[in-house]
This record gives sequence, structure tokens and C-alpha cells, in this order.
Amino acid sequence: MTELLRANILADLAYYRRSRLLLAFMLLSLLLTGLGSLPPLFSNSGVQSFNALHEVFSELNGFALVLCACLGLFIISSHLRNRSLKMVFTKPCSPAVWLLSAFLSAVLVSLLLNFVILAGSTLLSLVWHIPVRPGLVFVSAETFAVSVGLIAYLMLLATLVHPAVAAICTLIFNADLFYSAHLWTEAVIRSGNKGPWLRGLNGLFHWLYLALPMLYPFDKKTEPVHVSLRVMHGEWKYLFYSLAYALSLSAFCYCLALFALQRKKHI
Amino acid sequence: MIVAENLRVHFRTGFLRREVRALNGLSLEVRDGDFFALVGQNGAGKSTAMYCFLGLLKPTSGKVEIMGQAPDLGSRLYDKVAYLPEEPHYHLYLTVAEATRYYAALYGKRVSEKTLNETLERLGLAQFKDLPLSKCSKGMKQKVGIAQCLIHEPQVLFLDEPTRGLDPLAVREFRETLREIHQRGATIVMNSHVLSEIEMLANRVAIIEKGKVVVQDELRNLLTLDRELYQVSFEANGHVPDYLDAVERVGNMVKGDLPKERLYDFMDLAKQSGLHLHECSLKKATLEDSFFKIVKGEDPHAGAQEMGTMPVAAGNQG
Repeated sequence: MTELLRANILADLAYYRRSRLLLAFMLLSLLLTGLGSLPPLFSNSGVQSFNALHEVFSELNGFALVLCACLGLFIISSHLRNRSLKMVFTKPCSPAVWLLSAFLSAVLVSLLLNFVILAGSTLLSLVWHIPVRPGLVFVSAETFAVSVGLIAYLMLLATLVHPAVAAICTLIFNADLFYSAHLWTEAVIRSGNKGPWLRGLNGLFHWLYLALPMLYPFDKKTEPVHVSLRVMHGEWKYLFYSLAYALSLSAFCYCLALFALQRKKHI
Repeated sequence: MIVAENLRVHFRTGFLRREVRALNGLSLEVRDGDFFALVGQNGAGKSTAMYCFLGLLKPTSGKVEIMGQAPDLGSRLYDKVAYLPEEPHYHLYLTVAEATRYYAALYGKRVSEKTLNETLERLGLAQFKDLPLSKCSKGMKQKVGIAQCLIHEPQVLFLDEPTRGLDPLAVREFRETLREIHQRGATIVMNSHVLSEIEMLANRVAIIEKGKVVVQDELRNLLTLDRELYQVSFEANGHVPDYLDAVERVGNMVKGDLPKERLYDFMDLAKQSGLHLHECSLKKATLEDSFFKIVKGEDPHAGAQEMGTMPVAAGNQG
């Protein structure tokens, strides 16, 4: 088992290094992140420095999330689409092990990426003479937890549907959209329109909002940390809640993805 | 060793959801130590059958067993199995050496650099070991596939068009390697369009037509199917009997096919005319001859049944 995991993870890491599609996507995301992060770097007052650090840190975390989501999506879809899995599953390496390796390899990259962003931001704090705030660690760890859940969710979608459909589901038809739609239908119902179809729609949106994974399930509680990069004593627990949520979501998505992979008629 | 019973693979394709019957009641049995060849036209169902044997494709109905177990992807059953796919569905982002090492590691063992280098050397891949598979030619990819089959000692090999894209030298070496593996006691199941190659290697053959096995037998029985004809060659002194078929003349020499029922007439003629007879033997059919006869719907003859050839088509129709 360890040897199989090791072999698969090494192969997956080689894929991340060499996939042109992933590289192109990474460069594009980096370019967009750079465009968003560069202007704040040219500030000179203390307050502006903090804002600049905050801006750069947020942009880089956003980049890390997008990239990690792509890792989860591409590692599954590319192997499924070029049918190379037949070379894996006709050896004593089960779909469960292969899927776990793919997940772990993406998580490893995410861990490394978040660590680099945290180290870079800490360094920037020191260079700009801003006190290193514990919020940096908090947000980095939370971003890592979010990325773990996102990787697992996209891996699941990639086993079920075309990668483009998976990307659209994640970007557009996500929990936020259905939450907004639920609020809108509820507002319309409150204003007096109580048609059965509207109530049905409201229930459907609410159900979809609950069923779909959330990126930041405790965002209301952790928002002050994101804004000030300061962590109050009672706020650390939300980091562990986020981690627990990500792990539960990952386990659920992993089981569903494994089921879908094993049920595929043709590998 | 490998048993397939009444395998059916039906699926729908295209806008009109037309039903395709890739396998239509295929049954066959591969015995321990066989070098078993699956022969058939394009689209006959050879690769589909192999996918079902390996568990890569779930049949609509029917049963497959390898070494007494149903193929369950990635199970311990595959410890003793090696598979060479027809299409180069490899991990194209890996280099030749990385891919070979990776596929070997999937058996749960690390391969020493020495074994890896020896295998690559043997297949002429050593100088390309750092080349990504995406940049390799089809033949080189095929060699990587062969390398991953050979690097551990499998008991059962499934080879789907193994010599496709290989150069003649590599084909010859690969043939020798397969002979060695077979002599060591491994069971080999091979799909191929190269009938001459099958004649050289296989001991049992199944001919597949429209998704079912029409003949399954020892190769030697298929090669001597044509018991109705004798091949004769003689020096003619003017007279060539009109019942001789497929006559070829080279100078004074005449070569032709003699129907069985005219054998004694011909012998009498030879005796009376003092013909100088060079050869008179039961005509040997090549696998190609047998294949065409069977696939074109001609009766694979009474002769076949006399010798115990199994025309299994009738048995499959239920």
C-alpha cells in the first residue's frame, strides 16, 4: 500500500510539473494575480504598507485556491480522458488507492503552496516593518483547509462529468448562487406572492444551498480575522471547525468519487 | 485458467442511439499454459473480449473468470497478470524510464536500476530512457508497454496487437521473448491481425466473427483443415489431367491441387503414363486459408469435425 501510494504520488507530481494545460492555467492565474497585487506594492506609508500586504496576501490566497482546484480537476479528468487508468487498474493497484494518491498529491502541492505564500507574506511584513500578525497563519491554514475540500469536490465532479461542466458547476452553480436565489425567492414570497411554484423553487434553492459544499462555512465568524489579520482568543476554534468541515467534505467526496469510478462501465 | 461464458456487450451510440452488439454471446476457454490467439476482422470484438477478460469493460451479461476469480480491477488477482494495450494509453507525461519504473512499482515492488536498465537495454530503449512518452514514436511506446509486461514475471499475459508499430528486428526479438515466457509456463492470450505470427507462436486459436467465437481449436487442427485436397507436383510429358485445380506450370513441372476422390485415378494415370511424380501430399492449409474459409462462411468442413475441431458458433446461438 505505501509503495503504491508513493509510486502514484510521484507520478502525479510529475504530471503537475509537466502538464502544459496546467502550466498555461497557472501562468494565466499568476498574471491576473500579479496585476491585482502589483499596484499596492508601490505604497510607502505604514498604513498603506499594511493594506498592500493584506491585498497581496489575499490575491495570493485566491491564486492558491484556484490552482489547487485545477489540480483536483485535471488530475482526474486527464487520466480518465486519455484512458491511461487501464494501465493502473490492470495491476494490483485498486481505484481506491489511485484516487487517494491523486488526492494526497494535490493536497501536498496545496500545503507547499500555502506555506510559500505564508512565508512570502511574513517576509514582506518584516521588510515593510509591519508586526507579523497571527492572522497570516490563520488565513493560510484556513485557505489550505478550503483548498483540501475544493480539491476533493472537483475530483468528484471530474469523475462524474466533463471537466468544463465541473468548472462551470464550481464557479457558477455553487452554494453562494443558490443561497442568493433562496433569499430572493423568500423576499418575493414575503412581499405577498405565495404561488406554489415559487414556494417549490424556494425549497429547491434552499435544499441545493444546503447540499452543495461551501467554500468558507464559517465566513461570518472569521471575517474580522481576514480584515484585520488579528486573531482573538475564541476565533482559533473556527480554524479547527474549518479543517474538520474540509476533512468531512473530502471523505464524503472521496467515497462518492470512488463509487462513481468503480461503477464506470469502461475504463 | 480463463473462462468466458456467453459474454454479451451491447451499447447504444450516436444521435439515434443505435444499438451496437460488440460481443454477442462469446464463450471460450483458455487452459493453463496455452498460447491462445484471438483472430478476427476489425470490429469482430477481439479487443472488447480482452477488455472483458481484464475487467476493464463490464459486460451486459455473461461471466468471466481468470484463475477462478471474477476480474475485479486492481485486486490481488492482477499480481500475476500483465497487459499490453492496443492503443498507447500510457502516462504520456512520464519519461520512458519513469513510466517503466512506475508500472513496475504498481505491482508493489521497487525495481532496481539494474533490472530497469537491463530491460530497457534488451528492448533498445536505453538511449531513449529520458525521453517523455509524449515524444516517443508509436513503436517506442509499444516497447515501453512490452517492457512493463516483462519487468516482473507474469503468469498470464494479455497482449492486444503486440507487434503493431514495431520494426522487424524488434518483432523477431519480441517473438523470441514470448516463446521464452511461454516455455516458462506462462499463459498468453494475444490478439493479432498478423496470422503468420500467430502460426509461429500460438497453440490454440479462436476465430471471432460478429462478437462470437465461430471456431476454437488447436492451431494444428486449423492448419490441416483442408482434407479434401492433395497437392501434387510432377513432370508432365504433355498430358495434364483436367481434374487438377490451381495448376501452375514452370517449364516441364506442373503443380496443382487434386480432389480427394480423384486420387486413385491420378495414381493410375501416373503409373500408366510413367509420370515422374515429385510430390503428392495432403494439402496444408495456412491459418490465413482457414480464416478466410471460416469468415467467408464456407463450411469449415466435415474434415474439421473429424479431427475434433470445435465449430462453436452453433453452441453460441442460444
